[in-house]
Amino acid sequence: MSKKLIWRYLVIVALLGWAVYTIMPTLRYERLSTEEKSVLKEEGKLLDLESKIIKRGLDLQGGMHLVLEINVPDFIKKVADHQSAAYYDYMEKVDALYRENPEKDYLNIMLETAENDSLRLSRYFPAPDRRTDNKAVVDNLQKECEQAVVRAEEIIRNRIDQFGVAEPVIQLIGNKRIIVELAGIDDPDRAKDIIHNTALLEFVLLKDPEYTQDIINRIDAAVKRINPEEITAVDSAVISGKKSEDKEISVSELLGLQESDSTAESLVLVDEDLASEHPFSALLRNLGWDIGVPKENYYAVNRILNDPEVVRILPNDLRILFSAKTQKIETVQGGNAEFYSLYFINREPGLTGDAVKEAKAELGSVSSERMGQPVVNVRMDGEGTKTWARLTGANVDKRLAIVLDNKVQMAPRIESKIPNGRTVIEGFAGLAEAQDIEIVLKAGALPAPIDIIEERTVGASLGADSVRRGVNSVLFGLALVALFIIVYYRGAGTIAIATLVLNIFFVLSILASLRATLTLPGIAGLVLTMGMAVDANVLIFERIREEYLRGKTIRSSVENGYSRALITILDANLTTLITALVLWQYGSGPIRGFAVVLFWGIIFNFVSGYFISRTIFMSFTHGKKPLNKLSI
Amino acid sequence: MLQFFKNTHYDVVNKRRITFGISLALIVLSLVSLFVRGLNYGIDFSGGAKMQVEFSQSITAEELRAKFTEKNLGNPEIKSSGLNEYMITINPENLDDANGILEQALGGTDYTLLQIDKIGPKIGQELRSNSLKAVGIALLLVLIYITVRFEFHFAVGAVAALAQDVLITLGLFSIFQWEISMPVLAAFLTIVGYSLNDTIVIFDRIREDLKVHKGKPLADIINFSINESLSRTVITSLTTFFVVIILALFGGQVLFGFSIAMVIGVIIGTYSSMFIAAPILVVWGHKFKEKEKPLEKKK
Repeated sequence: MSKKLIWRYLVIVALLGWAVYTIMPTLRYERLSTEEKSVLKEEGKLLDLESKIIKRGLDLQGGMHLVLEINVPDFIKKVADHQSAAYYDYMEKVDALYRENPEKDYLNIMLETAENDSLRLSRYFPAPDRRTDNKAVVDNLQKECEQAVVRAEEIIRNRIDQFGVAEPVIQLIGNKRIIVELAGIDDPDRAKDIIHNTALLEFVLLKDPEYTQDIINRIDAAVKRINPEEITAVDSAVISGKKSEDKEISVSELLGLQESDSTAESLVLVDEDLASEHPFSALLRNLGWDIGVPKENYYAVNRILNDPEVVRILPNDLRILFSAKTQKIETVQGGNAEFYSLYFINREPGLTGDAVKEAKAELGSVSSERMGQPVVNVRMDGEGTKTWARLTGANVDKRLAIVLDNKVQMAPRIESKIPNGRTVIEGFAGLAEAQDIEIVLKAGALPAPIDIIEERTVGASLGADSVRRGVNSVLFGLALVALFIIVYYRGAGTIAIATLVLNIFFVLSILASLRATLTLPGIAGLVLTMGMAVDANVLIFERIREEYLRGKTIRSSVENGYSRALITILDANLTTLITALVLWQYGSGPIRGFAVVLFWGIIFNFVSGYFISRTIFMSFTHGKKPLNKLSI
Repeated sequence: MLQFFKNTHYDVVNKRRITFGISLALIVLSLVSLFVRGLNYGIDFSGGAKMQVEFSQSITAEELRAKFTEKNLGNPEIKSSGLNEYMITINPENLDDANGILEQALGGTDYTLLQIDKIGPKIGQELRSNSLKAVGIALLLVLIYITVRFEFHFAVGAVAALAQDVLITLGLFSIFQWEISMPVLAAFLTIVGYSLNDTIVIFDRIREDLKVHKGKPLADIINFSINESLSRTVITSLTTFFVVIILALFGGQVLFGFSIAMVIGVIIGTYSSMFIAAPILVVWGHKFKEKEKPLEKKK
């Protein structure tokens, strides 16, 4: 045996040894039954094994992929510390520009708008002093945004840990995004709520009824201004509880909107007598304690409250919020009507969820009036207990709203000072919801509202189906290619197919040792790799045939075939390699999975399709008994 | 020895008027469709929610659609994706309520949600511009590579072939309104790679034959090279074709767009390397040949 061959054999043996070693854990893992896995888990060996196997992407095992982004406009509004009419005008302008150019950076729009209108941002936003220039203010806001995302990531991690998901992936991407990947979850909607609900708990005092009535009158007047045709004599308004004929009209009619808005129309119930003079109060009902909003009117009321004209006339220290749940009340006609409650509360909370030390979800105890209802018992920390006692003590007989994420859970009257820092929150749809609230209260509130901008959820059954289909197509493809190549190239074809199988084996090994994830596009990449590998062999064999047909010896035909094909294979594979690298660098999730596999496929194509197959050929041509026939 | 093509002498170069004509016709057709019908961007690029739903009982797409229109829940795109399985696509305006809309519409029927993809319109736009960037960079790098490894006029032939591959594939996607998704984009890039691969194999042969058969007319050399590598071209294309057609048939809904783009790409890529990229060298290389003549005389 020549020296040339010996070192070639050594390299191949080393490669094979490495590949078998790295792929073994995966093979072992795939064969484990559920019971065997739980035994390993008890022994603490499962995690170690799992870290050495080829991970399956969410598309193959089922799960949820979320891209979360901090809602910059909401965050900015939250940190603004001085809110004047000029501030609202400014923010409205910025928001409008942002809606037109959503791809632009919000903070940049803020800066440009402020510069154009020569506004001093230091008047509205936190800054060392009034004279800080706009650029510095915006830079500072940018920094706060980034810090908020980092905090949000920690909080989300805490929440998911408590929710209990195996091996969650939680990653910061850039400076305003977080990727969350949860494998094999049963209830994606619930998981989603736990992740992205802000969970801002606030204890806020209600405004007194007289003040509230005054605000309602002002809103009535504002709505009429928006729709001047309806103006008639202004009367002192009373929240009507009387049952006059309710008539259905559309929201657009009410606000006097243009035709173009008609797609958003929904029918609302209004008190016809009141509609023309008090268009807003007509949508409300008196529920005794609370101001009720019939379920059908929710959209209309919400829309009026968010109308820029209406927002403008509302005092800055006021918030108007809906209840979290509706309540069913029997009407005079005997039917059931569902109502939301509408609360007029202070902007500044007396106390927030930061003070919560412990939270526990349970069903209300038998002796209490909340018997059997899901509730969350909350205990506050030292500082919170003090504030809570002061707040309740100073406002006995007043009403206090417990607000979670801008929805009022309950608004009880304070009966007496609460010195022990405890309170009970009610108003949940079921125990599961109360338990979720327990989780988010314990983990803390997100520092800013978070939007889900991308969600990909794959059911476990579909994932299993994809694996089956993927594996089947690889095997089918391989079988068909093998048949064709072996029929066409005989002995040489058999060598080609052997190296092709080796190529796939090597790619899987490198995936396992790099702890890369195999996705469905990755399987597609594997299939394409097969095509490329075959091409390399075809190029070589055609060259060998040419040489052989020209009358060269077997040995020199093979030598020349390989060396002449090399340059072509190199050129052809390098261009595909460039494509794969670019896709790897710039592609998003699914494409990257494809590019990674294609990249390694091409690398190993040189190894197995060229180096190993040449070595096999050489062992025949350089052997003691020279071949007298070339099977190609 | 089994051989498909023995000593072929097809005169590809002189039939270039026909092949260029066919390509031109296909390109014009594609351009017209691209302008008139446009492309069907999937939610990956336009934003929206796509939900794959499986029903335990048989239901038709029309019945399903009626469930949405009855309750004023808009008119989602509904496509069958298997036995009692449907792909329901909801436009980006209703993205946040997608699950709610589905629940309201399908309340009462026994269904399982197999898969949800929700893409915000903003991220869709980002994906689109990032993808364009990726395609642009990939093309540029590959062209630089060819210019360095070969000569500039080879790069021109490769670009022409590539341009027609991409245009005709896009045109077919526009004509049949197949959805352009992330995997389809990956397929386009792979086609670019594959077509180049094919072109380069033939160019390699031409470069080699130019040295071997000095003095012969360029057209003859190109013809000779195409015929010499014909066997390889056909066999490689056939095997790749087998693989991708199997992926299209058995790979399932998710990979269908990808595989169909690949099937088209393999056919067009093979055609373009033989009938466009190489013959263009004759048209373009004419001047280049004459410039070289004085050099030969000096010898």
